[in-house]
Amino acid sequence: GKVPASNILASAPSDKNLAAWRELGCRTTHCNLEVVHGSTLVFLATKPHILPGVLEEIRPAVGSHHIVVSLVAGITIQTLQRLLPPWTKVLRIMPNLPCVVQAGAMVFSRGSNAGDEEAALLKSLLSSCGLCEEVPESYIDIHTGLSGSGVAYVYLFAEALAEGAVKMGMPGALASRIAAQTLLGAAKMLLETGEHPAKLRGDVCTPGGTTIYALHQLEKGALRATVMDAVEAATNRACDMAKD
Amino acid sequence: MSVGFIGAGQLAFALARGFTAAGVLAAHKITASSPDTDLPTVSGLRKMGVNFTVSNKDTVKSSDVLFLAVKPPIIPFILEEVGPDIEARHIVVSCAAGVTISSIEKKLSTFCPTPKVIRCMTNTPVIVREGATVYATGTHADVEDGKLLEQLMASVGFCTEVEEDLIDAVTGLSGSGPAYAFTALDALADGGVKMGLPRRLAVRLGAQALLGAAKMLLESEQHPGQLKDNVCSPGGATIHALHFLESGGFRSLLINAVEASCIRTRELQHLADQEKISPAAIKKTLLDKVKLESPSLSVASGSKVSLFTNKSKKN
Repeated sequence: GKVPASNILASAPSDKNLAAWRELGCRTTHCNLEVVHGSTLVFLATKPHILPGVLEEIRPAVGSHHIVVSLVAGITIQTLQRLLPPWTKVLRIMPNLPCVVQAGAMVFSRGSNAGDEEAALLKSLLSSCGLCEEVPESYIDIHTGLSGSGVAYVYLFAEALAEGAVKMGMPGALASRIAAQTLLGAAKMLLETGEHPAKLRGDVCTPGGTTIYALHQLEKGALRATVMDAVEAATNRACDMAKD
Repeated sequence: MSVGFIGAGQLAFALARGFTAAGVLAAHKITASSPDTDLPTVSGLRKMGVNFTVSNKDTVKSSDVLFLAVKPPIIPFILEEVGPDIEARHIVVSCAAGVTISSIEKKLSTFCPTPKVIRCMTNTPVIVREGATVYATGTHADVEDGKLLEQLMASVGFCTEVEEDLIDAVTGLSGSGPAYAFTALDALADGGVKMGLPRRLAVRLGAQALLGAAKMLLESEQHPGQLKDNVCSPGGATIHALHFLESGGFRSLLINAVEASCIRTRELQHLADQEKISPAAIKKTLLDKVKLESPSLSVASGSKVSLFTNKSKKN
């Protein structure tokens, strides 16, 4: 409820996705320049290879009152500033999928002309979608590896949990729901108690009980290292893609 | 108070050294006995000023607190031998892994109606007064007897009372623990040497690192996971190293080790309870010496010995 839908204008070359926007009450157009003329806060949400062309297109219309926020993966602030007028206030953000359910994790960085006011505006706007923190630009690729892609790791883990339960005799649909709720509950406890995950883990482990037996299996499988490998691989890939 | 050790090996030596260094006991108040005088620890004990004898009976007579510091398979021989000399005043403390209080009480009760038995599990760092000890009191041992032992063992490190059924787990963790640490230290030193450090320095630094870390943990309220995080700067050396440890399943190896030691302890206890001990498990010379002390103990060579059915004849 931060912004009325009628104040949002979205543009795209074809009508493919625009219907969804209109359903929310937003206005739509096929003209990028119209978006720039009619808005103060402009989000760039194209695929990476499209962006340079779009920036060239809107460049003449970008003024010092505009705040340009790029969600485009792999395009650095340096590149954005190079392709836009020198006075442009630029910010770069990396969200993740659960922004859709207002439980997202987003990080953003400022360009040279973006000041405290712009950062505060963006943060206040985005906090409605979840956790939003300002970071040095070098953290953005790491955020991709941790949380952007990280969501997929969690889906994988949830699937595996449920599969284990099915193996032990529980129906799949029920197992999936419980798996998801388990992850949600554990995450909520982490966020709300602020305790170290190792401590929370220890709290669940009764001596000689079921949990410690299970954890031993996870350790045998070097789960921790595998997860670290995953975050590292995704981060490195993000860095490599940005260089292309 | 006088303390006696049946057995004059590593454990007796470590405890005697620890007690005397702590000042809770004068060396001349300690007696240790063993039929084997060639043990390297025997001369160490003598140098300390401990009374050394080859007669286990003498040790029993001159002690209030009697430590059974022999290997688990020897315990039944010892109990058979010194049983007649155990009196109600004695506090018998068994340090043998896997030997239950009830098996000791059962054996001693043929000689003494209410033997005070305490079972304890300690570890070798008692020698430098940083031992880890737990104990469980037997049927006839009073609260004061437990407290007395606790005072003694607390002078050489950490000591607390536990339920007897936890003692095997303690064996796996802190009983065997120093061995895991020595292995880790050896390897850490190798790492240091590989990267260019002289061996002695590498060993010294590795040991100090573990000592310091352990001290931090003991003195901190924080979870070891948190303390680990505190060392890991983002993108730094330590986190890179930790990733290697995790990839190698470091944590699970340690869990496996503690588990294996605990399970083996229980196996040995089970074997002992079945009262089948192969004489080959006991050094032949030692066995001969025991036979010399108690000629009425008959051991059929080549077959399994059941010691709990052979009663020694009293003269």
